[in-house]
Amino acid sequence: MKLKNAVALGVTLSAVVTGAAFADTIRVGVIAPFSGPFALYGTQYEQAIAAYQAKHGTSVGEHEIEFIFRDSGGINPDLSRSLAQELLIRDQVDYLAGFTFTPNALAVAPLITQSETPTVIFNAATSSINRDSEFFLRTSFTLWQVSAPIADWAYDQGIRTVITTVADYGPGIDAENGFTAAFEARGGEVIDAVRMPLSTTDFTPFLQSVRAAEPDAVFVFVPGGPTTFAYTRTYNENGLREAGIEFLGTAETEESNLQALGDAAIGLNTAYHYSAAHDSDMNREFLAAIAEMDDPAAVNWASVGAYDGVHLIYEMIEAAGSDGPAAVEHALGLEWESPRGPLVMDPESRTVIQNVYHRVVQRNEETGLLENFETGIIATVGDLGWDQ
Amino acid sequence: MRNLIAPLALILLGVALFFLFPYNLAFATRIVIMVILVLSLDLVLGYAGIPTLGQGAMYGAGAYAAGLFAIHIWADPFAGLIAGALAGAILALISGFVLMRASGLTLIMLTIAVASICHEIANRARGVTGGADGLRGIRMDPVFGIFEFDFIGVTGYWYTFGVAALVFAFLVILVRSPFGLGLRGIHESPDRMMAIGAPVYWRRLAAYVVGGAIAGIAGALTAQISQLVSLETFAFALSAEAMIMLILGGMGRLYGAAIGTVVFMWVHHTAAANDPFNWLFVIGAMVLAVVFFLPSGLISLPAAVTRLIKGGRNGGA
Repeated sequence: MKLKNAVALGVTLSAVVTGAAFADTIRVGVIAPFSGPFALYGTQYEQAIAAYQAKHGTSVGEHEIEFIFRDSGGINPDLSRSLAQELLIRDQVDYLAGFTFTPNALAVAPLITQSETPTVIFNAATSSINRDSEFFLRTSFTLWQVSAPIADWAYDQGIRTVITTVADYGPGIDAENGFTAAFEARGGEVIDAVRMPLSTTDFTPFLQSVRAAEPDAVFVFVPGGPTTFAYTRTYNENGLREAGIEFLGTAETEESNLQALGDAAIGLNTAYHYSAAHDSDMNREFLAAIAEMDDPAAVNWASVGAYDGVHLIYEMIEAAGSDGPAAVEHALGLEWESPRGPLVMDPESRTVIQNVYHRVVQRNEETGLLENFETGIIATVGDLGWDQ
Repeated sequence: MRNLIAPLALILLGVALFFLFPYNLAFATRIVIMVILVLSLDLVLGYAGIPTLGQGAMYGAGAYAAGLFAIHIWADPFAGLIAGALAGAILALISGFVLMRASGLTLIMLTIAVASICHEIANRARGVTGGADGLRGIRMDPVFGIFEFDFIGVTGYWYTFGVAALVFAFLVILVRSPFGLGLRGIHESPDRMMAIGAPVYWRRLAAYVVGGAIAGIAGALTAQISQLVSLETFAFALSAEAMIMLILGGMGRLYGAAIGTVVFMWVHHTAAANDPFNWLFVIGAMVLAVVFFLPSGLISLPAAVTRLIKGGRNGGA
């Protein structure tokens, strides 16, 4: 009996001691695609988180921070929701993060509102998500935020007539609306709005009709990967470039595809919030940190969205620990310097206010690689689609 | 008495799931919903022998119907199930008129086409369905007016489990009825059934419609539990995954459909949680192993083991 008591005492004591020696652990659940065609996002998030932790450590104040990764595959709101439920109930996470696709983010909205869990969106870019829960905070961008500035830039360059060509799905239509609203507000004219099937890679008929209509420029939004590749090639092959029809895009020349596009991409105009070629020490440091990883993934907007997301989570934990509402309260209006430039968390839309840069694709003479060269800031804006 | 063992075991499995996963009832609920979808596929493919890769069409139709019904008309869960079942049945009936005239590869292609068309309609009708953002704003009334859908998912689980049990019981009766036996006959030899005067076309159509209604119920449950319907309910991947689960468990066996789904989803979940980066290998290996060693699915495991042991004895003698 004595022995048994001693053991029990020992267990209790050691529990008390470890409890005192180590501060509490705050867990962050990351729901993102780690398998399938979109696995690159998951890798980018993971590496950005690792890069941040390598620089800033795994603890803040009294709190040890632990990230738990869960694979959502592609667009799968049911799975996203049940993963969030499991993370919240079983793993007792205090923060959620990740979310590449809009439906996956929307699916967790009721959960995070009920459980008062601050949720940082690393990518999903539809404006309306943040309306569904006041616990959503977004460190990526919205489609309106980048497609309206390119319209401003185009108008300033003397472009007056544009045809929009977008992939026929939610984000494409958002981009079309954002561009058209801004361009028409300045006095430009959108002659035609073409919506193309999401999975097509044959853009010849669309671009030939664009060429025949002779606008000053063509605005495009297509998802990354083979579609972007096919679109830019078709743009060149059908002589739109020679005809002087300017290319206006957003994410089309993003870094994970850029080298594959080849010389066809040189001279393409885009407006976006992040280029891996952004000229700042912080960005160079970020790129170097990612380059040190095993098998580093291309750095693009998804990486920087995650990096800033982690920063925001660290800030919130430092200020409020695991108190969700206080954490969100602290995040609103927060300002910080990011590899992409200065950021402010807009207290109203809960999406970051950031610089949107005009970029043009060119070949870096030192490295011989293509890059999105930033020519200047078009606008410093928050989520322009919030009031739409 | 022997007839009662299997159903009791299945109910026990359901109860066990509740206690095995007290912290992820959401996951257990997804398993049960998937069991219903795979059961509907089993009726269509396993019993009636209609090859289809488009069961997702009826599942999605049921999900959207139940979602819209809850938002605009009445948020009662059971009424929503009926709406979902009707939507699935109607879609199966309309598409079935054409589909059941085809067979083999043509039929498979056509079922995929139906699901793609539904996907595109839901994508275009943004005003009604929310397009690529998904249908939002589904808030269900309590079950029987008493049990609220709670955060942890206790109500959701028992509600789904109850519906699944009813569907299962219905199917057990159906496949043993003259209608069900007729379907088996058609599966094995349509010509002979035609010769003895069975209306093959109409029987197949009826099976497809019943399967559609059940898939619609599964879709409706998804909409009610996750409070969101996305375009992905029509996705090809879902229909294909359901078929893999069915093959894994054993086609033409209702218990096989249930076991295959539970095993597939449980392995999937565990592997994906332990290694979110490489779990697909585990799934692939499991499916390969089962298809190779147990061609009739996991349900045939006891028989295969018995055969192995007996074979061993004979070999020794």
